[in-house]
Amino acid sequence: MTLVFALAAATIFGFGAYLVLTNDLVRVVAGMVLISQSAVLVVIASGLTRGAAPILPTGDERPSDALVQAMALTAIVIGLAVTALLLAIVARVRATLHSLEVRELARDEAEHTAEIEQSQEPQLEELDRDEAEDEQ
Amino acid sequence: MPQQTSPPARVATRDPLAWAVALVALGAFAGCIALWRTGGGTIDVSWARELDLRLHFSFDGIGALYGLLATGIGAAVFAYATAYVPLHLDHQARPARDRWRFWPWMALFMLSMVGLATAQDLILLFVLFDVTAVCSYFLIAFDRQERASRLAALMALLVTGGGAVAMLIGAVILYADHGTFSIPELASLLRTQDEAGGIATGTTVAIGLIAAAALIKSAQVPLHFWLPRAMAAPTPVSAYLHSAAMVAAGVLVIGRVFQLVEVAPVVQDGMLAIGLLSIAVGGALSLTRDGFKQVLAYSTISQYGYVVMLYGIGGRDGATAAAFYVVAHAIAKSALFLTAGTVTMAAGCRRLSTVGGLARELPVLAVASALAAATLSALPLTIGFFKDELFFRAAAEHSTLLGVVSVLAAGLTFAYTWRFWGGIFLGERRVGGAADDAAAAAKPLAPVPALLTAPIAVLAVLAVLGGIVVGPFAELASDAAGATLGHDVQLQLAYHLDARETWMAALAWLLGGLLLATPKAWGPAARALSRAGERFGPSHVYELSLSAVNRWSDRLHDVEVRDLRSRVAAVLLPGGILVALGFAATPTAGVFQIGSIDGTDLLVVALLALVAIAAGVVAFTHQHIAIVLALAVVGLGLATVYALLGAPDVALVAMLVETVVTLVFLAIVAYAPRGERPSRRELAGVASEPQRRHTHSRRWRDPLIGVVAGAAAFLVIWGALSRPTPAERVVDELVRLTPAAHGRDVVTVILADFRGLDTMVEVTVIGVAVFGVIALLRRGRTW
Repeated sequence: MTLVFALAAATIFGFGAYLVLTNDLVRVVAGMVLISQSAVLVVIASGLTRGAAPILPTGDERPSDALVQAMALTAIVIGLAVTALLLAIVARVRATLHSLEVRELARDEAEHTAEIEQSQEPQLEELDRDEAEDEQ
Repeated sequence: MPQQTSPPARVATRDPLAWAVALVALGAFAGCIALWRTGGGTIDVSWARELDLRLHFSFDGIGALYGLLATGIGAAVFAYATAYVPLHLDHQARPARDRWRFWPWMALFMLSMVGLATAQDLILLFVLFDVTAVCSYFLIAFDRQERASRLAALMALLVTGGGAVAMLIGAVILYADHGTFSIPELASLLRTQDEAGGIATGTTVAIGLIAAAALIKSAQVPLHFWLPRAMAAPTPVSAYLHSAAMVAAGVLVIGRVFQLVEVAPVVQDGMLAIGLLSIAVGGALSLTRDGFKQVLAYSTISQYGYVVMLYGIGGRDGATAAAFYVVAHAIAKSALFLTAGTVTMAAGCRRLSTVGGLARELPVLAVASALAAATLSALPLTIGFFKDELFFRAAAEHSTLLGVVSVLAAGLTFAYTWRFWGGIFLGERRVGGAADDAAAAAKPLAPVPALLTAPIAVLAVLAVLGGIVVGPFAELASDAAGATLGHDVQLQLAYHLDARETWMAALAWLLGGLLLATPKAWGPAARALSRAGERFGPSHVYELSLSAVNRWSDRLHDVEVRDLRSRVAAVLLPGGILVALGFAATPTAGVFQIGSIDGTDLLVVALLALVAIAAGVVAFTHQHIAIVLALAVVGLGLATVYALLGAPDVALVAMLVETVVTLVFLAIVAYAPRGERPSRRELAGVASEPQRRHTHSRRWRDPLIGVVAGAAAFLVIWGALSRPTPAERVVDELVRLTPAAHGRDVVTVILADFRGLDTMVEVTVIGVAVFGVIALLRRGRTW
């Protein structure tokens, strides 16, 4: 089973890693979800015992490892928070910028920043001159 | 330009907030006097026992001296500010509520100075030291609409804050070596060690770091440049900052840790050198400046140079003279700063080159500030006379050379002080123009509220009183010197016409007079020094390094934000390398286990295969709906796996979370299907670039990275899972303890009880995420 768990978790992780590198924000989010699923699977698979549910009184002599289950629960909930935030960002980006293409967004931002910097430069120079006079 | 005091400003002069703060200062002043006369007191409470931190305050001589300065000068400055701040806000057409950005910070400034004066613990000292820096940041940037004010505040914060970090490092080194943060304990430990054969190098470094922090705070060369810049603050702030708070905090700390400095002669000699350098540079630059406050700012650098030099000389003479000097300087300097503020309010200009001859129109101000100037330049019948007498005595006792230098320094002080006073009050009458400007000669002054003159007069009277009845001031200084040195000191002051110090003073006045009379002789040299300082000096270094940091951050921003791919790579790649290194360092031979498959495991294997296929579908489809549905298959499949592995809690939560995420994801995707809306570029008429044909290498790069990442993850996960350590079974203990926690589900008990704190933080994370989502979806409005 060790090998099977490792194979499954690694496959999910690999697809996730591929997805976060893609150009489409929705697929990037999907990649993040896959990576966190893979992490939860690894945590559960690292339990030292597998058996009945760890609910007292356990019929089984060695119930399933409760510790990793608690950790996995935490991981799932944090994963939910991250996914929710990512999805909200995606919705917001699409609503304001009308695009989910990473490359396009990056280009737009670069142009926008350049515009702002250009419009500020003469103003800043003037301020610097004023300041030098005040120093005297 | 100041105009007639407008009605709202007059109303605001009776501002209860301002008067409350001023009255608090006055009450605190009375309290400090009472405490000083009754011998003070000590508070010593353990604060964080595990870290050996104590809230240890003791109202000793140093506490009395700086406490009285902070509250007494504070009361005078605050009274002045009750009239100044409304006028200031009125001139800048700012709302009266902006005074809330002034008074609370001033009050906190005063309190933190009193706390700093009485703190006996290095960590406490550091914390209060930083509180004064934070207060000064907000006060210097009070005119926050001005870029210069904001930059000046940032500079003061960065430079003195950097110093404070040095102090913290020094404190921690001392703690590591000697096991205590308490200054009295450290002093006795170090003295014993010094007598036994000298202190360790690390200790010297630590003491040097603490002294450096204090010197930076006292604006000593070469890190003095923040102080003249800080003149962007409103005048009451400058007056307070220079005389009784902030800059005084530096020499206060030196006085407090002086017994540590004494055992490190290198540090003490360094202080002597830096003090001398600051006297020279500050004095010379002060003679070149045109702005009132700039002249005074450089004079402050020079004056605190005296104090630092005196501590560098050390011993009974040095410590007493330093303490006395601080008092005399505080009274005189605050009065001169307030004078500068009043003249600016009346005449509407702030440069020596644009005013002159105001003595006739502002007689009270002229007399009061003349007395303050006399104090600073050490004329007899003022408290200042004694400050220089003590200074000359300490210097001459140290060496003849230092005696000569001290006369030169006092001459410099005389020159820049009277240049300031004479420039405003003497000469041809003019307001807002050059000497031969007819309009400037006739331009009237704005009326000056009485409160802009009265505090200066009070301070001047105090200075003269101190010159006649010097007893209480001498006692204050000797108490402070006693606390500094750790043993009692007696100080008797009186006028002796035949004393060596009196002759030295006379020589200094003569020298100062000569300097004043011959500006053409030294002017070019002093201005060249000033220009060289601007071009190559430390402030230039500061600006260069700040802009370099700015550039680096821009570059990082470019790399990180403008290209999501490289950001992801920036996380994945180092992460992968670290894991690979860890993997390479761990022996792997013969530990990979395949594991047995029995019972329900076959079902699990089948489910995992389904999950893996679904993950592949997520990766290779471009349809958003298909991605969401395949993700749901992955999530629900894994939930079933957890159920089969005896983890019902996880399975239930995963099921719930999957359902919610799938629905939300679907909503987001359906909210605006892909490609339906034109992008910003298309709207702007710029055609979207045609879908670029990926080159061969590019098309294969991402899947290749995915395969490499998956293969590496496989090796690491397999290696980790194959290596169980059944010896230590924490979980058995947890199962045993579960009934004691009044629960039956072990997982629930772990989450809610054994690891309850963890869960609480987790809930906080969810809460923060919820706020983030709300803010994002409601365009920044949280509710």
